[in-house]
Amino acid sequence: MAKGTVAVWVGTRKGAYGLTSDAKRRKWTVKGPAHAGNDVFHVAADPRDPKYVYALANNGWFGPRVFRSSNSGGKWAEVAPPMMAVLKDRAKNEMGGSEAGPIVNLWHLTFGPENEPGSLFLGIDPAMMFRSDDRGASWVGLDGLNKHRTRAKWNPGAGGMCLHSILIDPTRPKRMYAGISAAGVFRSDDGGETWTPKNKGVRVSFQPEQNPEVGQCVHKIVLDPADPTIVYRQDHDGIHVSRDSADSWIRVGKVLDHDFGFVVTAPKEMPGEAFFAPLEPMSRLGTGGQLQVYRWSERTRKFTPTVKGRPFPGDLGTHRDAMDSDWLNPSGIYLGTTTGQLLVSPDGAKSWNEVPYRFPGIHSVTVAPAA
Amino acid sequence: MVAVRLDAMLKEFVPRRSVTTSAGTVRAMIEELEENYPKIRFRLRDETGALRRYVKVFVNGDEVDRTTGLATPLAGNDTVDILHSIQGG
Repeated sequence: MAKGTVAVWVGTRKGAYGLTSDAKRRKWTVKGPAHAGNDVFHVAADPRDPKYVYALANNGWFGPRVFRSSNSGGKWAEVAPPMMAVLKDRAKNEMGGSEAGPIVNLWHLTFGPENEPGSLFLGIDPAMMFRSDDRGASWVGLDGLNKHRTRAKWNPGAGGMCLHSILIDPTRPKRMYAGISAAGVFRSDDGGETWTPKNKGVRVSFQPEQNPEVGQCVHKIVLDPADPTIVYRQDHDGIHVSRDSADSWIRVGKVLDHDFGFVVTAPKEMPGEAFFAPLEPMSRLGTGGQLQVYRWSERTRKFTPTVKGRPFPGDLGTHRDAMDSDWLNPSGIYLGTTTGQLLVSPDGAKSWNEVPYRFPGIHSVTVAPAA
Repeated sequence: MVAVRLDAMLKEFVPRRSVTTSAGTVRAMIEELEENYPKIRFRLRDETGALRRYVKVFVNGDEVDRTTGLATPLAGNDTVDILHSIQGG
């Protein structure tokens, strides 16, 4: 692949796909599915060295597996067994009750800082985080989070008790964030050793105590790329923004008809702006027969709808990892649906089009430079 | 010797469709498979040691329980079938 091209990795109910395009992002080459038949919750290329691609494949017959490719998805090898052994010990000795069972699903992979080239962070169900420093050959559990004092108060959401968001502050790499449904947001300031709940200002509508320390059903969080003290949060209970590194949250989404949803992204070249795709909370579908993507601006403190007219008529939903954005200017924004449409804006959400390929239901969309 | 028949779902992990074993229990038979074919580790059993939900083990035609059935004794001319039930869509 030529340098400067964009790769979009798509995880679906039936496998993983890799798409490439030039900087115009109008025409796409689609390759896949890899791991056909597997429920690929997340597939992502390492932005530090994008020839390394990782797929989190869940399978009812064979269980969860991590696959790694070192040639941009040409060949794959399984790398997960050491992590399973860690959980075998956990199940026997440390946890009780329903959490003594095996891994339910692998959810999300995040890549470590630039100066730690082999480092990976993995989130799973039951909500736990693991770190690898050798590109997935071995894993260590982050016990400061996995055995957190509040764990007994964590509950599964409809998708299970999943650790689905892992963020690293690029300006302060020891500062990390984790999002767990339904436990809330946690922050570490010491590289993952210790974790503090960060949910002040986010209510919990589905239990008697509405402002607890933990138990919030966060769906996705992202950092503002220009000012990572700003954190954008799509929660079960609305769209929130924090301007103090998650110490407190403000619900900004109340002005919308619905601010329930799953996805959020903040493009690198659009500082102070984030994109959300709200859904009607009962059906988990866009309203009015048209999925809408809203741009939130920190400067104007307003939402602006970006999908004009009804270019994608139908009742569409999204999964939480199914939106991402690229590093180019104008920004490319990518949104996958639960029914397999991949929507692309190549111009910072001024216009949207659909990749002319119908995928299986999309779990995740992740962008990286093509290797 | 006990005959163990493996369904085609397992060809990714074990190249043969049948093996023989002198293992004395279903658990020992699976451990022997895992020893001889490491790729099958964690694919029949999860990390707690229980059979995965859609893995079905039959001894002389009778299905064994996912957890307690692993202690089922094997002897003589027993035949074991390892199958996968239909799931998904």
